[in-house]
Amino acid sequence: MKKILLIAMGLAFCAGPAGAELKVITASTDLKYICERIGGDLVKVESMASGSQDLHMVEPRPSMVFKLKKADMVVRVGLDLDMWLDSLINAAKNGRLFYGQLGYVDASAGVPLLEKPEGKVDASMGDIHIYGNPHYWLDPANAKVMARNILAGLKRAMPDQTAKFDANYAEFVKDTDTKLDEWTRRMAPLKGLKIITYHSSWPYFASRFGLMVAGHIEPKPGIPPSASHLDSLLKKMKAENIRVILTESYYPRKGPDFLAGKTGAAVVTAPVSVGGEDGVKTYFDVFDHVVAGLEKAVAGN
Amino acid sequence: MKRFMLMFLFAAITPCAIAQDSAAPSSGTPPQGMRGTPANLPDISLIGVIDGHVSSEKSDDTRNRLEFNEIETAFQGYIYPEMKADVFLALHKHDGTYESEICEAKVSFLRLFEGLSAEVGKIHVDFGKLNKAHSHVRSMTDQPAVLTNFLGGHSLNPQGGTLKYLLPLPFYAQLQAGAWQGAPHEHHVDGERTAEVTDTGNNNVDVVLAPEDSSEFSPADKIYTSRLNASFPLSAGTELELGTSFLKGKGSHYEHHKDDVKIAGADFTLKFWPTTYKRLTLQGEYMHLIRSVPVGTFKRDGLYAFANYRLSKYWDLGARFDYAENAFPDITFERDYSLIATRHLTETTTLRAQYKYINLSGDKAKEGWIQLTFGLGPHSHELE
Repeated sequence: MKKILLIAMGLAFCAGPAGAELKVITASTDLKYICERIGGDLVKVESMASGSQDLHMVEPRPSMVFKLKKADMVVRVGLDLDMWLDSLINAAKNGRLFYGQLGYVDASAGVPLLEKPEGKVDASMGDIHIYGNPHYWLDPANAKVMARNILAGLKRAMPDQTAKFDANYAEFVKDTDTKLDEWTRRMAPLKGLKIITYHSSWPYFASRFGLMVAGHIEPKPGIPPSASHLDSLLKKMKAENIRVILTESYYPRKGPDFLAGKTGAAVVTAPVSVGGEDGVKTYFDVFDHVVAGLEKAVAGN
Repeated sequence: MKRFMLMFLFAAITPCAIAQDSAAPSSGTPPQGMRGTPANLPDISLIGVIDGHVSSEKSDDTRNRLEFNEIETAFQGYIYPEMKADVFLALHKHDGTYESEICEAKVSFLRLFEGLSAEVGKIHVDFGKLNKAHSHVRSMTDQPAVLTNFLGGHSLNPQGGTLKYLLPLPFYAQLQAGAWQGAPHEHHVDGERTAEVTDTGNNNVDVVLAPEDSSEFSPADKIYTSRLNASFPLSAGTELELGTSFLKGKGSHYEHHKDDVKIAGADFTLKFWPTTYKRLTLQGEYMHLIRSVPVGTFKRDGLYAFANYRLSKYWDLGARFDYAENAFPDITFERDYSLIATRHLTETTTLRAQYKYINLSGDKAKEGWIQLTFGLGPHSHELE
């Protein structure tokens, strides 16, 4: 009996003592950043995906189950982008994190969606997202909606800390508005600029700053570029004098470099999340990098 | 078995009542299994597998054909808070004819209490790494010979239930135990062939041989399984999973053979992600079978080693080595070498080619396989 008690005590010790801070798991590093801003020192946040990963393609690992098992709250991107999270949440058997429970936060709730398909949707359209384009965090204005959802989740988990969370949220919104004004001002000369993007990751960004996405390296979402598709893009770029290709940092450079070589267009490789490139340490850094890259490309042209 | 059932029922009923009370309002996108909610429909999907092969073995009457091998339809959804139902119906070709089968039909109790879940129904048993995985999820056109020889030509999927417990340790570790009823004569194991052999006491006795052209064997009757697996992140981009499994049951013709079967297994999976789309997987499984028949006990071994490198978002290259003895008294072995290339067309559609060099106790053959796997609709499996 003594042995059993000792083993049980040992296991309990290994499992770690319950801390006062809230353990939060996020799907992406952008959500982690926002969560840390709202939660402050009351939260300990970990992201499942790294900033350089394609969120469509994150491979669930048992170690992720372990993290979710101990978590008080999970924050997901939603809109089918992080479908890999469902099997992880189920495997973690943590009742707090199931859909509809107190620790479940979908950051996409309330975001005005773009490219929401109408009518029949099937794989002839590529890897289409049935609820709309899920790259909504690339409009910095949507950060306020994401932050509001996280705020609501944190308040549910720690109702006695509402005032602190509200203050942090207000500060984050203020910072977002300040940066948004700066980016809007810097992007104003680029309004109406036609660009080619690799994947359909940038409609929210383009809509916010008045860019025109004229085409994608991928013929359809998730479908690799064919020679004939690149050829048609080449003709389009020449005909419409498109001089900028914007590509996510994790996609192959072969297609963009081919088009750039033939047209003289500049390729802007941009991080889509915190940690997506060296020096991109905050959510605001993501846009600083993209805006600077576009400014440089246009200046070079 | 009765005790297990009673404990399970008690545990199952209690937390569901609690779960119903604690449900909170939610917003945002519904997760898998809830996409059909507006129409009150489950997630409905279909997976199709078309394949064919050429072979140097002229007696192989299934060669030189390209045909539908399997269709798997799935109906998945929630039936109660924290209770999910997944039904997978399969239509697959065996010996030239299409046969329908309940591939899996299970209800999952996602959380009985903290860290504990359960599944009941007809289930792919969690034994080793690959038995659980549906064929379309595997990175190969066929299954390793050791699975065919010890667990059956299709995954071992008896009726019963299993409890899974995440151990309170500072790393991922899950312990599970299951009790099952496996139907005899499943997986087309033919027990008509017999031979006279000398037993350990120098007596001549009749024993059942492996069926013609097959060394397929499958446990049946009352089957008890357990598995312990743990995972260790070695770095941010490297993870090692270790597992051990045990099975106790009878043979698929136990009413004639009066045999008891025990299988012990050990497996490892090492995954390394150097960049977003690159991944190296090294995986291996070893199984040791002990089959006791009235005239004595014989022991058999089998293993596979698999290496797979994802070199881009669209391409995988793999190699596999198989060694497996049969589960019958007249010992034979199979030693295979495979090379596999997979092209990912979309997230759900793949085109695969596999070259296989087969050595069946000295009889050698070469095979070339091609396989197209496609998916329609939202289809998901639990973490494998």
